[in-house]
Amino acid sequence: MYREIFNITLLQNTIRTATPLILAALGGLLTSHTGILNIGMEGMILLGAFFGVAGSYFFESYLMGILFAVASGIIIGLIFALFVIRLKSDEFIVGIAINMFAGGLTMFLLRSIFGVKGAFSSPRIQPLPDISISFLENIPVLNVLLNDHSLFVYVSWILVIAIYIFLYKTPYGLWFRAAGEFPEALDTVGISSNRIKFISSILCGIFCGFAGVHLSLGYLTLFTENMSANRGFIALAAIIFGAANPLMTYVAALIFGFFDALGIRLQGVGIPSQFTQMFPYIVTVLVLILVVKRERDKKRAHQARQKGLDKSQIKAADNLAK
Amino acid sequence: MKKLKLSQDLEYIFSLALSVILALIIGAIIILANGKSPFTAYAALINGALGSPYKIATTFAKTVPLILTGLATAVAFSSGIFNIGGEGQLYLGAFAAAYVGFTFTNLPGIAGIPLALIFAALAGGFYALVPALLKVKYGIDEVITTIMFNSIATLFTSYLANYPFASSVGKMGATEMIAPAYKLLRLVARSKLHTGIFYTALIALFIYYLMEKTSAGYDFKMIGSNPIFARYGGINAERNMVIAMIISGALCGIAGAFEVLGNHYRFLQAISPGYAFDGMLVSLIVKNNVLGVILMSIFFGMLKTGSIAMEYETAIPSELVLVIQSIIILFIAGEKGFANILRRIYAKEGAGQDV
Repeated sequence: MYREIFNITLLQNTIRTATPLILAALGGLLTSHTGILNIGMEGMILLGAFFGVAGSYFFESYLMGILFAVASGIIIGLIFALFVIRLKSDEFIVGIAINMFAGGLTMFLLRSIFGVKGAFSSPRIQPLPDISISFLENIPVLNVLLNDHSLFVYVSWILVIAIYIFLYKTPYGLWFRAAGEFPEALDTVGISSNRIKFISSILCGIFCGFAGVHLSLGYLTLFTENMSANRGFIALAAIIFGAANPLMTYVAALIFGFFDALGIRLQGVGIPSQFTQMFPYIVTVLVLILVVKRERDKKRAHQARQKGLDKSQIKAADNLAK
Repeated sequence: MKKLKLSQDLEYIFSLALSVILALIIGAIIILANGKSPFTAYAALINGALGSPYKIATTFAKTVPLILTGLATAVAFSSGIFNIGGEGQLYLGAFAAAYVGFTFTNLPGIAGIPLALIFAALAGGFYALVPALLKVKYGIDEVITTIMFNSIATLFTSYLANYPFASSVGKMGATEMIAPAYKLLRLVARSKLHTGIFYTALIALFIYYLMEKTSAGYDFKMIGSNPIFARYGGINAERNMVIAMIISGALCGIAGAFEVLGNHYRFLQAISPGYAFDGMLVSLIVKNNVLGVILMSIFFGMLKTGSIAMEYETAIPSELVLVIQSIIILFIAGEKGFANILRRIYAKEGAGQDV
């Protein structure tokens, strides 16, 4: 039985299930670097999934699907930014409102445009293409693992590296990080921290659009109500787990994807999948506790050192007085 | 001071009314875009929500979970602790109530129902206690932990309902039915309005009294609105936040219990379509005011009930009201920002005239 569950296909599935998580998480980590906690990712993914299907259906082209998903991402990212940054609304209220809006709007449009409830599929919907890399074909394990995935699997890998370079090796990345940590400093040197936050929100919308279109045109070729299925929150968990570092966050998304894929397989052989599904959430809470504990210990060590310093200074002063 | 507060309240009521009207106008535009008349659609909605005793009963049946989860949000948020975990607390409460209902089958209703409610409140309250302690002891953001806790609770109860406590007959993902003595009486024929509404009214009265008339309520609100002042005033912020969170969780647990005792008569793995999130939005719209929560819950209940009739008569999908509700909350969330922008424009014009 173990062989049935733990094999190379499990790892292949891991990559598939991790992809929407990492795409959304990349967007979310950009806003989190600029100091915004975006819990509206769940809704943003859902909108991307719906408009991806709509674009692909009406134009019978997956490219239009991507375009529609990106457009919906830009618009919802703009709305998020407008309220959170320009109107200074509470970011998590806006996030919750966006989740509710996306759920309601997609169900409404599903029924008013396509006349169906629950799920929509059609042969007119063009799925995203799978990418074959010819030089991998002769390498036994890597071929199964890395080859013939859907388009956005590869896009996500490129984006992880691109965003890592962007954040840590370019001045723009520095601006992003400064917008979150020292917005005043950024403003003083003449770069509007609010503008950076706006850009990060729109990028987050676009990346969540990618995640959505990957779900509805890559992972599956249909749209179902609430098909984001908590992925926005798991992405949030991955960001926290990965401390908003793109590489670490990708590792987190892979781990969470692994447990998701494992859960699906366990369910197939009649073992409850709920505990594997719980894994990302429990781990995230544990990580939060560990991070705080570590910082506390650091602080204590620092204070202890300070105390020691004070004592030695007092001694020095005493010696001088003598 | 009192005058100032009154004028602030009036300004708020004005912007609330404006937000609702604007959202309804956007809804009307969507209806027009679907080739239907907004007037007939909204008339059908109002008639569907209030047109007969049965319809009114249905509207009020929908307000029960909204009021309870709304009050839960109001207590926590006005104390400065952000409980987004209502949904998880609701699920645990619902399961706890169902557990009592199908385990202690010999109890008479008069003992059994309170017992089920107490178990539900304990389950919800205890589950809320954990993130509250993590916040006050370690400073861990309760927004994130409660979001994570939501998923953990829904998955855990789904496990319970599918494996150890799965019903032997029929449905997947459901527990056994509760004993007949636990079923809350239905009040109006065919409607789902049950006696839980009376309990809810009592609970709402209690929360109103607690928040508005007792020093504990004053302490809660002081921590939420002015934590530094509260600390100087000798209020133990940590302790009060934890207590507010427990009350909040208990209310959500009770909301879950009513879904079991009054509605489904068993625990289902998808028993709530996000009631706690709806209740949270209700409370946020009225700025965590207890009276406001009740009124806005009734309004949301009307929208929900009426939307079904609207769909029946005009073929406008009922989900339109979800869109309208989320637009209301967005406008309210941006209310201060909008007001500031308007003030700036107004000030500019005034300055222009002076010159």
